[in-house]
Amino acid sequence: MNLLQALRYFFHEAAVNLLRSWKVSLLAVLTIAVSLFFGGAFLLVSGNLSTSLERWRSSMRAVIYLKPDTPEADLKRLAGEAAGQPGVKSVQPITPAAARQRFQEIFPGLADLVAGWQDEPLPASLEVSFDPAAAGKARAAWLDGWRHRPEVTLVDDDREWLGQLETVVAVVRAVGLALVGGLLGAAIFTIASVIRLTAYLHHEEISILRLVGSTEFFIRGPFYVEGLLQGLLGGLVASGALWGVYQFLHTRGRGSLVSAVLALEFLKPQDVAFLVLLGGAAGLFGAVASLRREAL
Amino acid sequence: MIQFFHVSKRYPSGQSALDDVNFDIPRGQFVFLTGASGAGKTTLLRLIFREEVPSSGQILVNGRNVSSIPQRKIPYLRRTIGVVFQDFRLIPRKTVFENVTHLPRLLGVDVQGQKKMAYHALRRVGLAHRLNAFPPELSGGEQQRVAIARALINEPEILIADEPTGNLDPDLSREILRLFLEVNLRGTTVILATHDRDTIQRVGRRVITLDHGTVALDQELVGTDPPVLDPTGGASSEEHSEPPPEEEAG
Repeated sequence: MNLLQALRYFFHEAAVNLLRSWKVSLLAVLTIAVSLFFGGAFLLVSGNLSTSLERWRSSMRAVIYLKPDTPEADLKRLAGEAAGQPGVKSVQPITPAAARQRFQEIFPGLADLVAGWQDEPLPASLEVSFDPAAAGKARAAWLDGWRHRPEVTLVDDDREWLGQLETVVAVVRAVGLALVGGLLGAAIFTIASVIRLTAYLHHEEISILRLVGSTEFFIRGPFYVEGLLQGLLGGLVASGALWGVYQFLHTRGRGSLVSAVLALEFLKPQDVAFLVLLGGAAGLFGAVASLRREAL
Repeated sequence: MIQFFHVSKRYPSGQSALDDVNFDIPRGQFVFLTGASGAGKTTLLRLIFREEVPSSGQILVNGRNVSSIPQRKIPYLRRTIGVVFQDFRLIPRKTVFENVTHLPRLLGVDVQGQKKMAYHALRRVGLAHRLNAFPPELSGGEQQRVAIARALINEPEILIADEPTGNLDPDLSREILRLFLEVNLRGTTVILATHDRDTIQRVGRRVITLDHGTVALDQELVGTDPPVLDPTGGASSEEHSEPPPEEEAG
C-alpha cells in the first residue's frame, strides 16, 4: 500500500470512528475549540491593542503649557525655537484666546466655565507633533529640557500613557499565553483520553487486524488521523466562534471604545491558519501520546 | 516448511500447553492436527503465526525462526499465512467485502482488483451474493465461510484452519474440505485442526495427534472415501466403498 492509499484509508477510518462515537468526539472537539477560542481572543485583543498603539504612536504629540502671562511674541519665539529641533514635525502655537475658543467648541455644555473672565482662563501652549521615525530617547531628553525652562509650567507627553498601555498589552499577552497553555494542555489530555477510549473499544478489531498481517503504522494511523481531525475541527470551530464575536462587537459596538480598540480588525488569514493548525497539532500530539505506551 | 524443535509452551499460571513437540511439515503437505479439547491444538497453531511465543524450543517457518523474529517483521510473516480461526474473528462493523479484502488492500491492490479477488474468493465458498452484508447478518456457517475466503484470498503459502467445519452442516463441511484440498493441490501447505475423526478417516492424509501437549501419534492415513473430497470432482460417497484405512506410524 502506497502512502496515498494509506492516507485515504486512515482518513476514511478516522471519519467513520468520529461519526460512530460522535458524542465523545464532540467533547474533544469542543474542549480544544474552547482553548483555541481563548487563545484566538487573546491574539485578537493583543493584536488590536498593538495596532492601536502603533496608530497612536504615529500621531503622538506633546503639549507644552506656558505661564499665563507669557507675551504672544514669546509664544511665537518659543514656537520657532521648538520647530527647529530635529525630529519635530510641526509646532502649533495656541494663544490663550484660541485655547478658550477650542474648549468652547469641544465642550459646548461647559462653554460658560471659561466665559466672562477678566483674564483669559487657559494658558498659552505649544502643540508639538513628532516625526514617528524620530529617536524616542532624544525626544524624551528634549522634552525634559523644556520642563525645566522658566517660561514652562507643564509638559504633557502622550508617551507616558502609551508606555503604560504597552505594559498592559504585554500583561494581556503573558496572561493569554499562560491561559492558552493550560487550556491546550487540558484539550490534549481530553483528546488523548478519547483516542485511548476509542482504541479500547476497538481492541478486538485491532487484534484481528494484527493477526491478518497489518503493520503498527496501519493500525495506529487511523487513530492519529482521528486526533488530527478532532484538533483541526476544534480550530475551525474556535475560529468561527471568534469571527462571530468579532462581528458582534464590530457592528453592535461601533463607535464605542471597546470596538475601536479591541475589534478594530479580525485576525489575519495566517493567524487563523495558525489557530487551526495548532488545534491539529494538539490533536495529533494527544493521539500519539495516548497510544505511545498503549499495547493496543 | 514448518519445523518444530523441542517446542514447549507453558503459561504464566504454570499450566503446560505443549511439551517437547517435534515435527517437520514439508511444503505442500496436507496435515490434520487432532486431539481432544485442551490437547494443545490451538496453541500449536498460534505458535506458527506468532500469536504465541514458545517457552522453549525453536519454530522455523519457511526457514525463519518465528520465535526470534523482530516484532516489526511479524506482519510480513502473517501475510504469508492464511488463518481460519475457530471463532471466525471477523470485524462486525465492516462488510463481508471489507473483511475479505483486508490483506489485498494492505498490499496496495486497487479497488477493482480487490473486487475481483473478493468475488473469486467468496464464490469458492458459495457466498459471492453476500458481498455487502455485515457479519452479524450472517449465520455461523456463513461467517465461517467468510473467514475461509479471507484466509484464501491471497493464495497463502500456508493455510491454517482451527476447526473450520465445526459450525457447518455435513454437506457444507464436505465442500469446505474439498476447497482446502484444492488449495493444497495448488501447492499451499494446509494444517487443519479438528477433532472430527470421521472426516479424518474419510479424507486420509497425514495426521498429528496431540495428547496433553505432546505428540502422541504422527501417522499417514489412507482415506476411506477420497473421491468424495477429490477436488477434481470424484464420485459421491454413496457410490464408493473403500476398506478401512491402514494406519501407519508417522
